[in-house]
Amino acid sequence: MISLPVIWGWIFQTAVAFVSTVAFSVIFHTPRKEYLFTGITGGLGWLVYLVSMDMGAGAAAASFFATVALAWISRAFSFARKAPVTVFLICGIFPLVPGAGIYYTGYHFFMSDNALALETGLETIKIAVAIALGIGIVLSLPKGLFTRKK
Amino acid sequence: MDKTSVLELSFQMGETLLQNGAEISRVQETMERVARAYRVDSFDVYVLTNAVFATGVEQGVEHAARLKHIPSTTIHFGRILAVNQLSREIAQGDHTVEEAFSILDSVRGMPYSPLPLATLACAVGSACFSYLFGGSWLDALIAFFCGVVLELFLYGAGRRKLSKFLTNLSASALVTLCGALFLLAGIGDNMDKIIIGSIIRLVPGVALTTSIRDFFNGDYLSGAIRMLDAVLVGGCIAVGVGVVVRCLSLLTGGALL
Repeated sequence: MISLPVIWGWIFQTAVAFVSTVAFSVIFHTPRKEYLFTGITGGLGWLVYLVSMDMGAGAAAASFFATVALAWISRAFSFARKAPVTVFLICGIFPLVPGAGIYYTGYHFFMSDNALALETGLETIKIAVAIALGIGIVLSLPKGLFTRKK
Repeated sequence: MDKTSVLELSFQMGETLLQNGAEISRVQETMERVARAYRVDSFDVYVLTNAVFATGVEQGVEHAARLKHIPSTTIHFGRILAVNQLSREIAQGDHTVEEAFSILDSVRGMPYSPLPLATLACAVGSACFSYLFGGSWLDALIAFFCGVVLELFLYGAGRRKLSKFLTNLSASALVTLCGALFLLAGIGDNMDKIIIGSIIRLVPGVALTTSIRDFFNGDYLSGAIRMLDAVLVGGCIAVGVGVVVRCLSLLTGGALL
């Protein structure tokens, strides 16, 4: 069902997400040695989002799955790198933050298309809530799940 | 300032964390960990997004509650990581108070990324996001230029200490205008993809994420403050974009998208 070009598309998009996440790490003054890890976090989040979208999940559900994956790997990196979760989480979350939703809401609102403005506004809030749930759930899980057993 | 006081050290470490964008529970834990490592008799701390309240007994002397207003934050993960490392070392008993103070001073002096690098990062980020959200190569290229303009504008706004609302409002309006001008000149395919890519730099992802973390750690007040911040900034961006799109559509007599 999944053809080769689709997979190449996923890989390429993941690479772009990697680069964009590293760009944001620079903006937030992350130390250079963490770039690789923030990049992987962002890339993974976007990959999960893409795959979920292609499997037919809605934007909110896809955001939720992607956030769970992203928060999970952030915590794993946080233990492996002895660095706060925040660093990986915030850099990696940027591809998922509903910037598009904010744009369309503002656009339709000011073009006096009330029905569409309301619809996109609600969609934006839904995505934000999905992200919140994803982060909240994964960060509340017990520590033992994220470190290698000794 | 007393350079031998453990309370002062703990207090300043907390302040540094908060100023550079750490979440509340991390600030609180770090401060408590430092106080415990140096065996302060008793220590209590309460942290909000913009203030630290701490009180403790050191060598039999009660230090009165200290509070300090902490102005707006700029994210600097390098400093958060460094303070985190320092607190870990302190907990292991590696440093005297004086040593810890001198390390903290050097952490506070860690530089921000130079402007050309930040501009490049913003531009690359904008271009990438424009592409990720379905823009063409040309759209990504235009978003790149918008990103350059945006970061330079933000730098200027930061130096003139423009208020947060005005900064976000005018920056999103500027980016929209920039993208629209390219489009009106006949370059670019999708107005929406260009602008979505360019405004990602402004979107309140940090406030949203930190707010959620505060909520789930039980710091409801700080979480609410940051959530409000995220919603208002998001609103500002929407208004900035919307006003420019509306004005342009009135001027050119047709809808742009």
